[in-house]
Amino acid sequence: MSNSSEIVLDVDHVWKVYCRNLKRAMWYGLRDLGREITGQGHDRTVTGLRPGEFFAIRDANFQVRRGECVALIGPNGAGKSTMLKMINGLVRPDAGKISIRGKVAALIELGTGFNPILSGRENIYINAAVLGIGKREVDRIFDKIVDFAELEDVINDPVKTYSSGMRVRLGFSVAANLRPDLLIMDEVLAVGDVGFRMKCFAHLRELIKEGVSIIVVTHAVTMLRRVATRSIVFGKGKIVYDGDLPTGSTIYEEMMNVPSQASERREEDQASSKARIEEVNVLNEQGQPQLEFHTDEKLRLQIRMSAREEIRNARLIAAICSPVHGKVASMSTAYLDFQFDLPAGERTIYLEFPSLPLLIGAYHFNISLYGPEQTDFFQRRTLQGNFRIVGPPLLGDGRGLGGILKLPHRWESD
Amino acid sequence: MVENRSIANDDPAAPPASGNQSAEAAEGELDSASAATVDDAQLTTYSAVSEIRTPIKLCREIVHDFVAGRELAWRLFIRNLRGLYRQTLLGLFWAFLPPIANTAVWIFLQSQNVFQIGDTGVNSTVYILTGMILWQGFIDAFQSPGKLLNSNKNMVAKLKFPRESLLTVAFLETCFNLSIRLVLLIPAFLLFSVPLHLSILLAPVSIFGMLLLGLALGILLIPIGTLYQDVGRFVTMVLPFWMIVTPIIYVPSAEFPASLLNWVNPAAPLLIVSRELLLYGGTNFGMLAIVFGLSAIVLLLISLVVYRVSLPVLIERMMA
Repeated sequence: MSNSSEIVLDVDHVWKVYCRNLKRAMWYGLRDLGREITGQGHDRTVTGLRPGEFFAIRDANFQVRRGECVALIGPNGAGKSTMLKMINGLVRPDAGKISIRGKVAALIELGTGFNPILSGRENIYINAAVLGIGKREVDRIFDKIVDFAELEDVINDPVKTYSSGMRVRLGFSVAANLRPDLLIMDEVLAVGDVGFRMKCFAHLRELIKEGVSIIVVTHAVTMLRRVATRSIVFGKGKIVYDGDLPTGSTIYEEMMNVPSQASERREEDQASSKARIEEVNVLNEQGQPQLEFHTDEKLRLQIRMSAREEIRNARLIAAICSPVHGKVASMSTAYLDFQFDLPAGERTIYLEFPSLPLLIGAYHFNISLYGPEQTDFFQRRTLQGNFRIVGPPLLGDGRGLGGILKLPHRWESD
Repeated sequence: MVENRSIANDDPAAPPASGNQSAEAAEGELDSASAATVDDAQLTTYSAVSEIRTPIKLCREIVHDFVAGRELAWRLFIRNLRGLYRQTLLGLFWAFLPPIANTAVWIFLQSQNVFQIGDTGVNSTVYILTGMILWQGFIDAFQSPGKLLNSNKNMVAKLKFPRESLLTVAFLETCFNLSIRLVLLIPAFLLFSVPLHLSILLAPVSIFGMLLLGLALGILLIPIGTLYQDVGRFVTMVLPFWMIVTPIIYVPSAEFPASLLNWVNPAAPLLIVSRELLLYGGTNFGMLAIVFGLSAIVLLLISLVVYRVSLPVLIERMMA
């Protein structure tokens, strides 16, 4: 670990091996137990994988500084939760080293250890004990916990009579009293009502101000903008991006956007042999291919097509889509009375957005090519022309824009 | 490998040093970061190297976690106890019922000459009841670590806490259940006029040894039992036979080769000795008791190390 006391967590070239086959996993477990007990635990990158095994984490390498809030994002099975479990000391790395300076606390499953038959009051003491908070301390902060959870009226009722939201509130309220150096959270903020969530975010911001480092795993990336400043994107066990949250979240959205071979084959099957969409490119103001844009920038879409024979009055429909929100907008050549013919051979058409009204996120185009009649369908190509909006940053504190569109608007008073 | 060591902290505003794993945590001193300024910050390191390669540190951590987890263990013990009887009509009576029912069945069978109990020297009801209570205690100690780990699987797989506390809970529950069952002996002794001997004061030592042995064997089974359910099924299948080869409802044989059973059956020696100390004022199996008592301690220490080093491997599979 670096000498700098500002570094709270150092993940140093960490690898983790898992096995998907249950029977094999058990058998390997038995052999690994033997190795552990005889002190032969070893670096798995040296010995290699056994049949059925795969690297759930591959060479992960990052550091977290004091007071930093980092979001681990990525699709399911990308390795985020495995990484969190290793940082929490639940499972060990198979190679590499994780060093943590100071105290770690985890909000992995709120209310773990609750006994539904017992009252909320009794369960506060149990949950606190699980989290390492002693009775004297709970006695001192008991009213604060109940107040934060907003459960004064039902605190003596059995927890089994609580709604799931009430249980989460109780769990979070107990955990909110932890003051670790590193707080790790896994998907706990996606629950509870909006009011309580805002309260949790406010609490987390308070912790960050106090110098607590936070690592949070969630799929609700939009919500993270309220607290996180940095993102580490995992894909198939590898860190594919480590940097600011807006870029990280767009990369994550793109990762959910990979076309399947089946969908590509389907599109190919449905295509007519008369005309095709050959290529779609996203260009900047200067006509150069570009991936990253800012809101209000100019974007030009280049659509290269080919036809076997001349097609008069062809039509195009272009839809801008977000992998998270679906279709954002679509536009056709016919709407603006733009008419074009496809000669035998190739032709390129441009679609220009002088001032892109999209906010931070990942986007792509779905393009459909038609003939003059409603039934003259030639080809539809999805997931084309991927691009990202990476700025300006969206403020998560209710003082900026939200959603995915920047709409022209003004405020007035009477 | 998990390393916990203190390093010089050059950040004067750094939060307190103790970890989730620390004794301070269990003492309830997890207060706000601003409340304390410390010179040292705890550095925890996780790597692929087996913990067992640093045995002294490993033992120190086991002891540390037993201490750190004592309040949690007490909370979980109370939680389980309250939860156990809160939704029942008969409440604590359920703790007494199994040995009473078992004894009643065996006494009935004996009265029908289905089996010969032998020369017990005391009333046969008291003899069988004592044996039953002790056997139940041994089996509770043997089974409770696995049951506790299994019922708290979710917590173990998701949260870092002193896992040794679960073993403490297992032992506390076993002791509690055995203690309330032993209360049954008071009316039985009075009813059947069993004389009290001074040796009864030594019985707790022997019973303690018996429970430690059961606990150690139970903990040793956890790694393989967590991986393969076959172990649990095998134990369930074997238990009735194990009870029959243990001299609970008959007098232990002193003749070879039947006496060999007293040596190879881990449940037998300390159970026999405990019962003799309770009923007869002395025992002929003193040497056997000492050998098994010492073995229990050694086995328990080994089992604690095995439990500790196997948990990360088991947790990986629990989550699968």
